[in-house]
Amino acid sequence: MANKPQIRTSSSALIAMIADEDTITGFLLAGVGNVDLRRKTNYLIVDSKTTVKQIEEAFKEFTTREDIAIVLISQYVANMIRFLVDSYNKPIPAILEIPSKDHPYDPAHDSVLSRVKYLFSTESVASGRR
Amino acid sequence: MQSSENGVESRNGVAESEQHILNFLDSVDSYLILMETLSSALRQGWLELASARHSMGASRVNSALFDLKSHHASTTVQVNDDLPQFKLCKWASSDDPEKYSEEAKFEEDELFQNKSDGPRHQHQELQEKRRDGGASPVGTDNQAQKERSKTLSMFGTLVSPKLRATQLSFETALEMLVEISNTRASLLHAYDQVQKDRTNTE
Repeated sequence: MANKPQIRTSSSALIAMIADEDTITGFLLAGVGNVDLRRKTNYLIVDSKTTVKQIEEAFKEFTTREDIAIVLISQYVANMIRFLVDSYNKPIPAILEIPSKDHPYDPAHDSVLSRVKYLFSTESVASGRR
Repeated sequence: MQSSENGVESRNGVAESEQHILNFLDSVDSYLILMETLSSALRQGWLELASARHSMGASRVNSALFDLKSHHASTTVQVNDDLPQFKLCKWASSDDPEKYSEEAKFEEDELFQNKSDGPRHQHQELQEKRRDGGASPVGTDNQAQKERSKTLSMFGTLVSPKLRATQLSFETALEMLVEISNTRASLLHAYDQVQKDRTNTE
């Protein structure tokens, strides 16, 4: 026990969500909902009235808060702010694109897989052979 | 002699690069499989939520009932900065030192406010509570059940069993999401290694 290496850990961090009502409801039932003293939540419910600007602001807020470790975002919502999601490259918080009821997960649009797909492209293979 | 040593080093370098590529491909494969599994868990959860809404009524299961009073999340994540690695902490169990120390402080404050036998007795009570608090796994399960019920109570005292099933499905989805986060970190790390090997080769 005395020889165990020390692992750096932070205190508990939150999971933030930008998704439709049903997805948010489900995850709130799982206990991830947090409301601070200023009544700021760690989630944004996206519906037909939510503007792209609101989604962008929520994304920027969640990715700059120090108490958030993971941001869940429905992939169809991520597509609305694709430029912002793809240009994000910090390790924490981790951005996870999740499916929604009406929009199944599409690996072609996933920002992580888009970043690494270059390795599978023909240009990459051809340049390796030169 | 020197050329054979160079040859061995070069072969080791190639083997290491190939290992990095294999790690990368394994990470991509795991990531895709986990996303598929997550989709199934979420579909199950949405279906159960729809059933709960059908049996309880749409007015009893909607976002207008969300608790907007100040409260902490019961389920959080701990991050190890090394890769990074994520660990899910469900239902703020009594083993969680941060919450436990908050609870101990709250109890200590309560005890100091009570007019009881005296400081010595209060201290003994607190020590006994501390010994009991961290020891039993049954206590942890009770804590989890208590937190689950508290979260469900957002939608009323009596809820449909389908809503409880929804809760469990989304808990499973959360566990998968944490696993996906870890796989994502490994994938990006493996990708960086492969890129580095390609740059060194060029």
